Amino acid sequence: MSDLFVIGAGLSGLMAAYTAARAGLRVQVVTKGLGSMHWAAGTVDVMGYTPEELSRPVQRPLEAIQALAHSHPEHPYVLLGSHQVQVALEEFTALMAELGLPYGGAGGFGALAHSTSGDNLLLPSAVGALRPAFLAPSAQLAGDMARPEPLLIVGFTGLRDFYPELIAENLAKQGFQARAAFLPLSLLTEQADRNNVHLAQALDLQARRLKLGGELKRLARAGERIGLPALLGLDDHAAALADLSAAAGAPIFEIPTLPPSVPGMRLYKALRARLWRMGVRIDVGLEGIGANVIAANGTAGRVQWVETATTTSRPLKHRAKAYLLATGGILGGGFDSDHTGRIWETVFDLPLTIPQARHQWFRPAFMDPAGHPVFNGGVAVNAAMQPVGADGQVLYANLWAAGGALAGADPIQQHSLEGLAIATGWAAGQAIVRALAQ
Amino acid sequence: MKRIETEILVVGGGATGTGIAWDAALRGFKVTLIEKRDLTHGTTGRYHGLLHSGGRYVVKDPVSATECIHENRILRKTHAHCIENTSGFFAVTPEDEGPYPDKFLEGCRATGVDCAEISVADALRREPLLNPRISRVFEVPDGTADSFLATHATVQAARHAGAQILTYHELMGLIIEGGDGNRRVVGAKVRDVAKGMDVEIRAQMVINATGAWAGMVTQMAGVAISVVPGKGVMVAMNHRALNTVVNRCKMPADGDIIVPVHTVAIIGTTDERVTDPENLRIEPWEVNLMLEEGDKLVPNLSKARVVRAWAGVRPLYQEDYAGASRDATRKFALLDHKERHGIDGFITITGGKWTTFRLMAEKTVDLAASHLGARKPCVTATTAVPGADQGNYWLGHRLHEIEEQKLQGQLICECELVTRAMLENAAKQNPLLTLDDLRRDVRLGMGPCQGGFCTYRAVGIIHEMGKAGVWEGDAGHQTHAAEEWDVAYIQSPARNVNGSGSVGDRPQQQGGSVGDRPQQQGGSVGDRPQQQGGSVGDRPQQQGDRPQQQGDRPQQRAGQTPPLFNPNLLLRDFLQERWKGVAPILWGRQLKQERLDELIYLNVMNADHLPDDQLASAMTDFYLFDTTPNEHEVHP
Ligand SMILES: Cc1cc2nc3c(=O)[nH]c(=O)nc-3n(C[C@H](O)[C@H](O)[C@H](O)COP(=O)(O)OP(=O)(O)OC[C@H]3O[C@@H](n4cnc5c(N)ncnc54)[C@H](O)[C@@H]3O)c2cc1C
Repeated sequence: MSDLFVIGAGLSGLMAAYTAARAGLRVQVVTKGLGSMHWAAGTVDVMGYTPEELSRPVQRPLEAIQALAHSHPEHPYVLLGSHQVQVALEEFTALMAELGLPYGGAGGFGALAHSTSGDNLLLPSAVGALRPAFLAPSAQLAGDMARPEPLLIVGFTGLRDFYPELIAENLAKQGFQARAAFLPLSLLTEQADRNNVHLAQALDLQARRLKLGGELKRLARAGERIGLPALLGLDDHAAALADLSAAAGAPIFEIPTLPPSVPGMRLYKALRARLWRMGVRIDVGLEGIGANVIAANGTAGRVQWVETATTTSRPLKHRAKAYLLATGGILGGGFDSDHTGRIWETVFDLPLTIPQARHQWFRPAFMDPAGHPVFNGGVAVNAAMQPVGADGQVLYANLWAAGGALAGADPIQQHSLEGLAIATGWAAGQAIVRALAQ
Repeated sequence: MKRIETEILVVGGGATGTGIAWDAALRGFKVTLIEKRDLTHGTTGRYHGLLHSGGRYVVKDPVSATECIHENRILRKTHAHCIENTSGFFAVTPEDEGPYPDKFLEGCRATGVDCAEISVADALRREPLLNPRISRVFEVPDGTADSFLATHATVQAARHAGAQILTYHELMGLIIEGGDGNRRVVGAKVRDVAKGMDVEIRAQMVINATGAWAGMVTQMAGVAISVVPGKGVMVAMNHRALNTVVNRCKMPADGDIIVPVHTVAIIGTTDERVTDPENLRIEPWEVNLMLEEGDKLVPNLSKARVVRAWAGVRPLYQEDYAGASRDATRKFALLDHKERHGIDGFITITGGKWTTFRLMAEKTVDLAASHLGARKPCVTATTAVPGADQGNYWLGHRLHEIEEQKLQGQLICECELVTRAMLENAAKQNPLLTLDDLRRDVRLGMGPCQGGFCTYRAVGIIHEMGKAGVWEGDAGHQTHAAEEWDVAYIQSPARNVNGSGSVGDRPQQQGGSVGDRPQQQGGSVGDRPQQQGGSVGDRPQQQGDRPQQQGDRPQQRAGQTPPLFNPNLLLRDFLQERWKGVAPILWGRQLKQERLDELIYLNVMNADHLPDDQLASAMTDFYLFDTTPNEHEVHP
C-alpha cells in the first residue's frame, strides 16, 4: 500500500507526486495517457488574460491573481492566494534548474525572486501572435518581444508544422522587425516520414546541429536573433542549444508549434526521471475507472480503493492512505459526457459545477472571448484542494484534486494551464503531507 | 461594369445547375453558370450521400423510384469515380413488421428496381454490426456518391464543352423587357462577391436552378411559386460501422437510413419545415433522434464518436401545398414561365434528387432548346465526365496511393490523407476565398479532429504560395484559370505528385522555397542551396524591414471584401466553419478533441489575438450562424 496514489501524470499530478515524495511519502502514479504537457507550449503560463480583460494580455500575473479575489472567489488561484502560487512557482523553478532544464522569466534565470521582474514574457507563437507566459524554458527566452533585437524566423522547406513567413508577417504587422528564411529539411533528416520528435532527435547529434548552426550564421544579419521551430534536440537539448547559438553567433530561440510538443516532452522526461530517482513509479496505460468509497454521512466519507483498467488485464484495485485526482478534466479525459448532456467525473463520480445540459455548455463562436462555460467548470475544492460538495463540506477525508479537473477557471482561455497545475499540484501535495503527518 | 454575353445563363451551382451547363454546352449552346458561393454551397453539398436505387420510393412514389434506378445505372458509368458500389439493404427490424415488406417487394417489381431477398444470416455475415433481431433483408443496388467530386467533374466536363462557370457570382436581379403578357427575361444583374464588383450578363434564356432558393429567384421576375424548404439533419459517426447502405424497410421516415460515405457512417435524416434555406439550425432533439433511430439498425451506434452534424434543405415544389413536407412530391418540377406566366426566356427547375440531376438537366435543356431552336441531341447519358476512367471509388484508395508512393511525409491532413501537393493544386486552380472551398475539393479538415491540425498547415502553405507570387495579378479569382485544372484527379495523392503543373509554374527562384514536390524532398531540395535558405530571407523588402505600426491595419470592416488570402482571416473563418458543424454534437470524445483544438489555437498559437481581427470574408457571417444546442432535447 502506498501513502499517496496519484491518478494522472500531467504537470499537476507529477508536481504533487514530487512534493509528497520529497517529504518522504511513498507515492504511486497511474495514468491513462500522457498529459497535456505533450500538447502544450512547454512554458509556464500563470495568467495571460483575466476573465475581465480578454483582449489585452496581463502584464503582471501574480498581481492579477490578487485582483481576482473579489470577482472570482471560486478561482483555484484565489483559494490558494497569490503567495502560495508564488512559492509553488519557486519550487518548480528550483527543481527545473536542478534537472538541467532551467526555466526563467522576464528577468532572466535563477530562483524566482531573481528570475523575473514579475512581468509576463511575450513570446512569438507559431502564427506570429504574442503569447503571454510567466516562465519559459531557456530555449524560448530570447523570443521575448521586450528584447530589442530584430527577428529572423527560420523554417525548413516542406516542414508541415512551421511557417516562418506567416510568423514574420504577423510580427511585422504588430510593429516588430521580423523576416523569414528557409533552410532545406535535408539538414535535419533524409526520412520521408517524420514528425517534430524525430526531427528533434536528429539534432541530438552534434554533427547535424553544427552544420545547421553554420547555415544559420550564413543567414543571420548582425544583431538579429533567430527563431526556430521547437525541435532543437530532445535528450541532448541543453548542448544542442549551446552548440547552435555558438555556431550561429546569434541568440537562438524556439517557437513551439503543433503537437507533439518537444518542449513539453522534455519537461515530462525531466520530471519523470526525478520521480524515478525518488522511487516513484509512473504506470502509463492504467486508467482509473472507478472507486469504492464510504459515502459522506454527516462527516466526510473515505475512499477505500481505486480501480484501474488496462486493455490487457482485469481491473486492479489500489489502496493508499491518500488519493489525488489529477485527471485533467475534459482535455485529460477525466470527465466524460454523452448526448443527453450528462457530464461526469470518471473515477469518483465527484459532483461537477458544469451544468448537466448541453444547451448551457457553449457560446456561439469558437473564439468567443469569454470562452465556453463547459470548459470553466469542474470539481470544486476547498483551500486544501479537497473536493467539496455544494455545501462546501469535504466529500472524502482522504481525497484531493488538482490541475485541469478543478472548477472555476478556463486555463486554456486564460493562459494559466501550467501555473494552475503547478500551484494546485504543489498545494495538494503539501496538504497531503500535512494530513498524513497527523 | 463587366458585361458578359451568352445564350443560356444558368443560376445555381448545385448538381442540377451544373448538370444543365454540361448538357447545354454539349448540345452546342453557349452557356454561363453563376453560383453565389462555391460549387455545392447549397443542398448538393449538404446531402446524405446516397445514390438511390429507387428502393426508398417504390411504395410511396413509384415514378421517382423508376427515375432513380434509371439514373443510378447511368451515373455508375458517367461518374464512376464519384460513386462507391456499396449495395444497399432494406432491413425489417422488430418495429417494422406488418404488410410493408411485401408491398416493398411488389413495388420493386413494378418499378424495375432490382431487388433480392437475402437471408438474415447472410446479411449479418456481411454486416456483423447490424441488429441481429431483424427478420428479413432485401438487397438493392444502392450506392454512395461524393457530390463535391461529382459536381467538380460535371463542371469540368462542361468547361471542356465550352461552358463558363463563375463561382462567387450572385444573382441580384433579372433584367426584364417588355410589358404585361409580353415580358421577356434578357439578362441578369450579378454581383461578383469575391471582388465586390457588379457584372451584367445578357442571355437569351435564364435557367433558375437554385433548388430551395428557386422561389426567391422567381420573385425577381414577379412570380410567386411554392418551394417548401424541408430541412434534414444528418449526423456523421466516426466509425464506418457498415459497408452497405442500410435502410429500414418501412414508409420513409426520420432517421431510417445509415449511409457509409468515405470513412464515416451517416445517419439521416429529419424533415422540418423552415423558412430560410441558408441558415439552418441543428436542434438537439434532431441529433438525439438520429442516434436513437440509428441504434435500431446498428445497436449502440450512438455510443460511437460523432464527428459532425449538418443540415440541408429539400427543395420540395408544390403547386398547391398542404400538409407535412415529407408528403410533397419528390419528383422534380420544370416550370416554363412563358407558358405559365407569360414571361419568355425564363425556366425554373427545382425539386428532385441528387440521383436524378442528369435527367432533370436533360428535360430542362430539352425545354430550353424548344425555345431557342434545337441543336444536337442530349448525349450526357453516354458521355463520361473526366476522371470516370478511374473506376468506382473504394475506401482504401488514398491510403493505397500514399503507401505506394511513400507520401506519408507530405500529409498535411492525416485524418483524410490530404497531401501538400493536393492542397496546393486545388488552391492554385480553384478560385478560392476560404479554406472551406479547399475542404470540398480535397476533404481538408473533414476527419475526426475537424481541422485541428490541418488548419494551421493549410494557412501556412497558402500564405507561402501567396508570397511566392502564385496568385500574382488576378489569378486568385481568375475563374478561367480553372479551365486548365484537371479536376479528374483532384482527390488522388498519387496523381498530384507532379503538381499537375501548378507547382512547377512558379517563378524559378521560388521553386524550392515553397515547393514540396516529393521528388524534391529531403536531399534533392537541399542540393540546390542557391535556391534555398535565403531565397526568401534575401527579399527583406517583403518582410519586417518595413515595420508597420498596429494602427496601419487595413481599414476593412466586417462585410467588406478583404484583400485576397489574409492568412489570419482564412484561419479564423475555417476554425469557425468547423466549429459550426461540431457544436451540435460536442460530448464525449469529440468534446475532448475540441478542447485539444482550443489548446492548439487559443493557447499554443494564441490565434484569437492576431492582427486583422476586423476583417471579414463573404462567408464570415455564414460561419458565425449559431448552431450551438438549445434546450429542446425532444421535439418541442
Ligand atoms: C437532408 C437531405 C438529404 C438528401 N439526401 C439525398 C441523397 O442521399 N441522395 C439523393 O440523391 N438526393 C438527396 N437529397 C436531395 C438532393 O440533395 C437535392 O435534390 C439536390 O442536391 C438539389 O440540387 P440542386 O442543384 O437542385 O440544388 P442546390 O444544390 O441547392 O443548388 C442550388 C444552388 O443555387 C445557389 N443559389 C441560390 N441563390 C442564388 C443566387 N441568387 N445567385 C446564384 N446562386 C444562387 C445556391 O448557393 C446553391 O448552390 C437530399 C436532400 C436533403 C435536404
